Amino acid sequence: MNIKMNEKVLEIINTVLENRTKKKLISIMPEMHLRNDVGFDSLDLAELTVRIEAEYDIDIFEDGIVSVVGEIFKKLENR
Amino acid sequence: MNIFLKDIDSERFVTWDYLINDINNTSIYNPFCKSADYYTVFKHIILSLLLNEEVILLDSDFTHSELINLTGHSKYEKFIKPCENGKLPTLTNKKGLIEKLSTPSEHWKMTLFTSGTTGIPKKVSHDFKSITRFVKVSERNEKSIWGFAYNPTHMAGIQVFFQALLNGNTIIRLFGLSTKVIHNEIKYNGITHISATPTFYRLLLPYDESFPSLERITSGGEKFNEKTFKKVCEMFPNAKITNVYASTEAGTLFASQTDIFILPKKYENLIRFENDELLIHSKLMGRTETNISEWYRTGDLIEIVSKIPLTFRFLSRKSEMINVGGYKVNPLEVEEAILSLTGIKNVRVYSKSNSVLGNIICCEVVTNSSQITESFIRSSLQSKVQEFKIPRMIRIVDEISTTRTGKLKRI
Repeated sequence: MNIKMNEKVLEIINTVLENRTKKKLISIMPEMHLRNDVGFDSLDLAELTVRIEAEYDIDIFEDGIVSVVGEIFKKLENR
Repeated sequence: MNIFLKDIDSERFVTWDYLINDINNTSIYNPFCKSADYYTVFKHIILSLLLNEEVILLDSDFTHSELINLTGHSKYEKFIKPCENGKLPTLTNKKGLIEKLSTPSEHWKMTLFTSGTTGIPKKVSHDFKSITRFVKVSERNEKSIWGFAYNPTHMAGIQVFFQALLNGNTIIRLFGLSTKVIHNEIKYNGITHISATPTFYRLLLPYDESFPSLERITSGGEKFNEKTFKKVCEMFPNAKITNVYASTEAGTLFASQTDIFILPKKYENLIRFENDELLIHSKLMGRTETNISEWYRTGDLIEIVSKIPLTFRFLSRKSEMINVGGYKVNPLEVEEAILSLTGIKNVRVYSKSNSVLGNIICCEVVTNSSQITESFIRSSLQSKVQEFKIPRMIRIVDEISTTRTGKLKRI
């Protein structure tokens, strides 16, 4: 996995968390669940999609199946 | 055991007997109801019906300023009053309760709030007849187990509540829970009916196993895209899927198995189309403070599919209301809230289409201080408007983009 991409995705996730006055993460792992582990609700997931799209020009939720961080990495790698 | 409500989030497991006992021991009533607890809201509605009193439902996340705007108050303790002697009947069992609830007085009313088109949410009152227009009470429905997937103080949630209540069904809370918990609740409680927005169903994906207990799935509030629809059909292999058209002002009006609706005969003189917009006669509407004209313009644009019988399909909204996962947001209301913050010179709120929620709220702001940041605006708005109304992308710009006519441009 690309370290730069990991850092960028962590930064985006933290922006979303910070905007909701939620606690930021120190690191992310591919197996982390976006809702259960990161603590995202549907509004946060929507914001994450928009922010990733602005950065990488890809809609990670287009086919409706992203539940763990690793799936985001996969989508970005297969771009 | 005869369960009335299971709410795993608040660890509530309420039987019908408990509910009846709780009502029999009630001695006070407050027409205002603002609670995040589903049982408290449901009991409040039942009490209002038994007492023949108005019930005013407030979202539990309304902020202090929203409450003042809507009701003129932010605290409601002073409205508590004792239940008049003998007004609250003594209940003996579930059957007796349902019988009492099925024949309320004509004076009962329920008041809800909906995003108005002028920037301020408006008050809508309904009588029993308009609230229960689509409720079907039958022997076949007696054993239904409802997955409750709406906010309990919103019109769609109220309609599910009455359908379940008047049939004596069990309600299982699903709204606001994590996907995994929802899957478990559906499976272990054998839920047979769910009514929800397409966003709710979309967020149930992916699933590890299908849910054969579901007999009926109802979807409303926004458009289902074909891909999600197909996956939902696979997830609930035995369920019949119905689309409904409903609004806070009118309640449920149309239902269909596809995206094409047939105009029911009984509505022939109460529904009209003008320049492709759906108009509803005031006879079908709840009472609002501004409800003075005979025909209500819904702002929903339709396309006629066939003339005999008259069938149509919904295309889009004419008005500027933004649909965020089934919640209607008025951009003017959000703009007003942002403009009230210090350091903001101008703002434009607009929507951007989004694969998770259908649409997402975005905005551009012009500030007169370099100290104003996106997170400052977002955290300041938390005390002014409900969370779903807060823009998720805020761009600080030098100038707002406007249309050629000089009006603020919404995308």
